[in-house]
Amino acid sequence: MNGVRVGKRVIGADSPVTIGWENLPQVEGGPVKRFVFTWFQPAVLFTMILFWFYAPNSIATASTAIAIGIGFKVLLLALEWVNPRYASWRLTWKELVTDLFFVGLGYTILGTVDNYIGSAVVIEAIQKSFDWDKLAWFSALPLLVQAFFILLIFDFGQYWMHRGMHNWYPLWLTHSVHHYITQLNINKGAVGNPVELFLIGLGIGGFFDFLPRAFLLAGGVGMAIGTYQHINVRFNSPRWWLFLFNTTEHHSLHHSRDFEASRSNYSGTFIFIDRIFGTCVDGEAELLGMEGGHRMTIREQMTYPFTEAWKTTKELYGKRRYGQSQDQSQTVPAE
Amino acid sequence: MNLHFIDWIWNIRGSLALAPEQSSDDAFGRLDPLFRETGTTHERTNDMLTFRKQNQAAQDKMATFDGGVLQIEHGMGGAVLRYRLASRTLLLCFLAPLLFLAFAQLTITIGKFESASTAAAEKSKKPEKADTVLQQHPIDKALGAPAPEKPKKKEKNSPTAAYVFAALFAALYLVGRILEGRLVKSLFRKSLRGS
Repeated sequence: MNGVRVGKRVIGADSPVTIGWENLPQVEGGPVKRFVFTWFQPAVLFTMILFWFYAPNSIATASTAIAIGIGFKVLLLALEWVNPRYASWRLTWKELVTDLFFVGLGYTILGTVDNYIGSAVVIEAIQKSFDWDKLAWFSALPLLVQAFFILLIFDFGQYWMHRGMHNWYPLWLTHSVHHYITQLNINKGAVGNPVELFLIGLGIGGFFDFLPRAFLLAGGVGMAIGTYQHINVRFNSPRWWLFLFNTTEHHSLHHSRDFEASRSNYSGTFIFIDRIFGTCVDGEAELLGMEGGHRMTIREQMTYPFTEAWKTTKELYGKRRYGQSQDQSQTVPAE
Repeated sequence: MNLHFIDWIWNIRGSLALAPEQSSDDAFGRLDPLFRETGTTHERTNDMLTFRKQNQAAQDKMATFDGGVLQIEHGMGGAVLRYRLASRTLLLCFLAPLLFLAFAQLTITIGKFESASTAAAEKSKKPEKADTVLQQHPIDKALGAPAPEKPKKKEKNSPTAAYVFAALFAALYLVGRILEGRLVKSLFRKSLRGS
């Protein structure tokens, strides 16, 4: 496999990928279907902006946001059946159960842990110990600008944490588990080792003061943009959308079995962050995963970072301590 | 311990009548591709096939099952394929509600500890500063956004999510137990007919 040169890198030398917007497959079907799957994403985004901007205070609450989030996921699950991107990503009962197990962990035990050692708690402790108030740099700005800053601050942090995970072995151990998924479905974003899920949720947004409605607006906009990273639906996303936001196309490349492709498209919401730092690749991939598509069991997903860390430490320790004698004992061809 | 009374939880049993002239060789030959997937090993004697799956791909049509036995029995009414397929996922899904109920109980226990320590802390707490009024930007006001209000404090330790997931997994188990049985029967039927 030759791959395609993108800047200084060759993408697709290990596993097939599609590179370039013009080469992406398009939605097939009648004009109504094509219209719906072209304008669905922008329509949801603008609906979310209008709703969270104008909803009365009695409705603009966290519980409404959770209800909308669940309703949106159910709608997208239905769209996965109506217009799948790839048949090989078709959601099965087993995959749904596994994915929901991780979603459930996120809503329960991991949420509880986050209540005590999450970034919000750490930031609050720092603020209290130094007697700091929250930095009121943004709270006087228009709501939409505040919401944009909330998303940007979090996504900027997530970009570097994610990039760090792909470049520093101890962090990679926690994140690698998520890269063993071989399909993109609506709940696959939640699948990963709990340590990684904790790390990727860290953010510094808590240092800043924003209006409560700005958080809800940011949540709505984030949902309308970021949910498409892991989803099996074919959209004809408009060019401006592909330019600004992380999509299934970008994220499938990130999950590709091709090593170079997997080292691209790190942001969670705004792909323009990758464009700024030179890590964006436009295209998509169907064949996903690691080690030729090895599917991890839940037990492996829970233990892999620790067992691998133990193996590596033992190897390193063994080499340092016994390295010389091991080298000497290696068989040398008799010539 | 005799597991026969409870092993229906993770085992799916079923049978399919073979076509009148279909031999065991022909039937197993048609089913053979199903057992040539990555991570699958199988053994065959004359009328029996046993298989095991490990790290089966999500795309494997029998991915739900981790092992099983298929047997062809010849009776008066013709040959019948009988099968028993075991699934760890079915078992774990059956047990998952218990795990989430345990999480709910843990949340309640933590909440009790928290409320006790919060009550003690509040007694010795200094009076809070007067609430500051939240400012609204003139653009938002002009566009008609509602005036900002302080949000109500949300409950930190609520077991609701854990209860919802316990119920969800109980429902998923029932769906899976019925759906996977039907899907695998239809898969065998189609394979045996060669369509």
